[in-house]
Amino acid sequence: MSLLNRVVLVVDDDPDVCWALEHLVEGLKAQCIRALDCQGALQAARQNRLALVLLDAKLPDIDGLELAGQIRRAAPGVPILLISGYFYKDDPAIQAALEQGLIYGFVEKPFSHTAIIAAMQTAFCSQVVASGR
Amino acid sequence: MWIYDPRTLSFLAVNDATVECYGYSREELLAMTVRQLHLPADMSAPLDVLLRSPVSAEQKGPWRHVRKDGAVIYVEVARSAVRVAGESACLVVATDVSEGKRFELLCRMLLDAIPSSVLLLDEDLRVVLANRNFLEKSQQTAGQTTGKRLAEVFPEVIIAEMGLERQVQNVFKDNQAMQGQRLTYRTPGVPIRVYYYSVVPVSWGVRVDYVLLLMDDVTEQMQMSEEIRQMERQLASVVESASDVVLSTDTQGNILTWNKAAQKTSGYPFEEVKGRPFFEYCDEAGIRSVFSRAVSGESSGMIECNLKTKDGKDHPVSWVLSQMTNDAGGTVGFVIVGRDLTERRKFEMQIQESQKLASLGVMARGIAHEIRTPLTIASSAAQFLTEENLTPEFHRECAEKVHRGIRKASAIIENLLRFAHPSTNKHKTPVDLPQVVKGAVSVIENQAKVQNVEVRTHLPPEPCLIRGVFGLLEQVFTNLFLNAINAMPYGGTLDVSAERDGGDLVVRVTDTGDGISPEDLGKIFDPFYTKAPPGKGTGLGLSICHSIVDQHKGSISVDSHSGKGSTFTVKLPLLSRTEEVMR
Repeated sequence: MSLLNRVVLVVDDDPDVCWALEHLVEGLKAQCIRALDCQGALQAARQNRLALVLLDAKLPDIDGLELAGQIRRAAPGVPILLISGYFYKDDPAIQAALEQGLIYGFVEKPFSHTAIIAAMQTAFCSQVVASGR
Repeated sequence: MWIYDPRTLSFLAVNDATVECYGYSREELLAMTVRQLHLPADMSAPLDVLLRSPVSAEQKGPWRHVRKDGAVIYVEVARSAVRVAGESACLVVATDVSEGKRFELLCRMLLDAIPSSVLLLDEDLRVVLANRNFLEKSQQTAGQTTGKRLAEVFPEVIIAEMGLERQVQNVFKDNQAMQGQRLTYRTPGVPIRVYYYSVVPVSWGVRVDYVLLLMDDVTEQMQMSEEIRQMERQLASVVESASDVVLSTDTQGNILTWNKAAQKTSGYPFEEVKGRPFFEYCDEAGIRSVFSRAVSGESSGMIECNLKTKDGKDHPVSWVLSQMTNDAGGTVGFVIVGRDLTERRKFEMQIQESQKLASLGVMARGIAHEIRTPLTIASSAAQFLTEENLTPEFHRECAEKVHRGIRKASAIIENLLRFAHPSTNKHKTPVDLPQVVKGAVSVIENQAKVQNVEVRTHLPPEPCLIRGVFGLLEQVFTNLFLNAINAMPYGGTLDVSAERDGGDLVVRVTDTGDGISPEDLGKIFDPFYTKAPPGKGTGLGLSICHSIVDQHKGSISVDSHSGKGSTFTVKLPLLSRTEEVMR
């Protein structure tokens, strides 16, 4: 199971972070779509068959966890990885979001490429297994 | 001479002399009572008792009787018991002493009316006469005093210790009055009395016939002056031991008194400042304006200005000036009380520093997020660089990202360091306020970003100079911005504008948050008042803003409507053109 030709949505208001994640996604031969805000993210979620969402926790117009909920409603079953420098791993807000299934995983910024690639693959596989595709 | 009935007081018989003396006819007298001979003013129950009492040999008088024509005569009376028709009656022999006695009586009355004690002494130092005041004070009767030697009238101790007899004898010998001596006199059972006495010769020529011993009871005055002295001592010790500087000046501001605290704080002993203008020892302009306000009768209020010490230092002191007035309400000088603010300033500085660190704590998450973003980019780009077969363009792009990310992170840290660093320089210098506001905006930008708050600034392009401490002013605006951001948990707009208003620069900080309820509005500048959850705010921010703005002779106010947001307005006095040129 690989992300080959799958669509991955990257949501971050910082173009340079998007640049890094885009290169990583493309390195996995997946297709990357970029969104810088809430509206762009929801539009992309509705218009594409997403395999995975990489989401920043703080956006200019919305809180990342709130956007996670909206993406889940717009594209049910698509795993979301929250990537943030605002929270830390044991953060109660992150723990709660993981328990509720709002997000699939959490990666702290700055991240190692190995860790984020592993997280992306795990999230994608789990989604495939869960949906039976 | 007449006989009267002691039961009815009616005349029973009168002789011709009585008729002649009193001017009534015999018939008229026989129809009267003896009571009617007395002066109406002298009539009293005791008189009636006396007239009705059994006759004794005792002679009472002189009495004041009234003749038919209304003239008052003085009579001496001798009563004796007789029997008339088998009934007991009273025979009265009255002698008209008016001519001889009138003057003596007047003298006697005068002596008794004098509120001093008077003793008339003869050459043998025997009491010829003691007035009523003396008899009352010494609790003696005329009988116990008249004819007695001085030594029998006064206690032995006084006679011996004061040398009273000798003094009286000297006056007899020298015919010279002896003035003003103090005498403490104690009668058993009566509290001690203090007298001022003098001995005056009474003479009709060279020979001194009598001397007058005049004594004035000054016990109350002595007590009063002792109390006044005690009160003065107490007041003086209050002023001396006060920890505040207390001094007084005349209306021109020349120093009259200077307490220990003044000496300790300034280093100048009283001798060096006595009579010198107070203005020489403090920031002249400030204190002069307070003086002129006080002279014109306005309330002086409080002013903070430096006291110049002998070793050339400046002590921050808060002064209060009050008028000293005389009984007629005229200003006779000023009382100036000064409190040394050195310790308070140190404490305020500590609070300001700790509050600054506390606000860094509040910003920690925003700071973390903002620093981690450029670090993420740099880190990621660096990891790409470790991969093989990179195109030269991508290689260069990665290197640029690393560099830019590190620069960005470093800039954020630099801003924070500048904010957190204790401001060692607390001296006011000309400061461009819009630059201060920009600096504060850069400190809170990260926090604004993570809380989805858009920051809009409208600042004058030209420099707007005020006299102040850059670090402290930056702290004011950082606090105000952070408060505004925290008032908008779901994002919003923070609008920061500055404009000139006369001689002031007015900075308005407006948020689109929940606003402040009317009941909280009056308390927001109070220390430790906070609505933030524990750990999110100290409640010191706004009180420190208030204190810093105060120190810069400015004002801070708030206008807020629940649900619509708040506007904090900071007004600071701009440097005048002259000051700008002078700097």
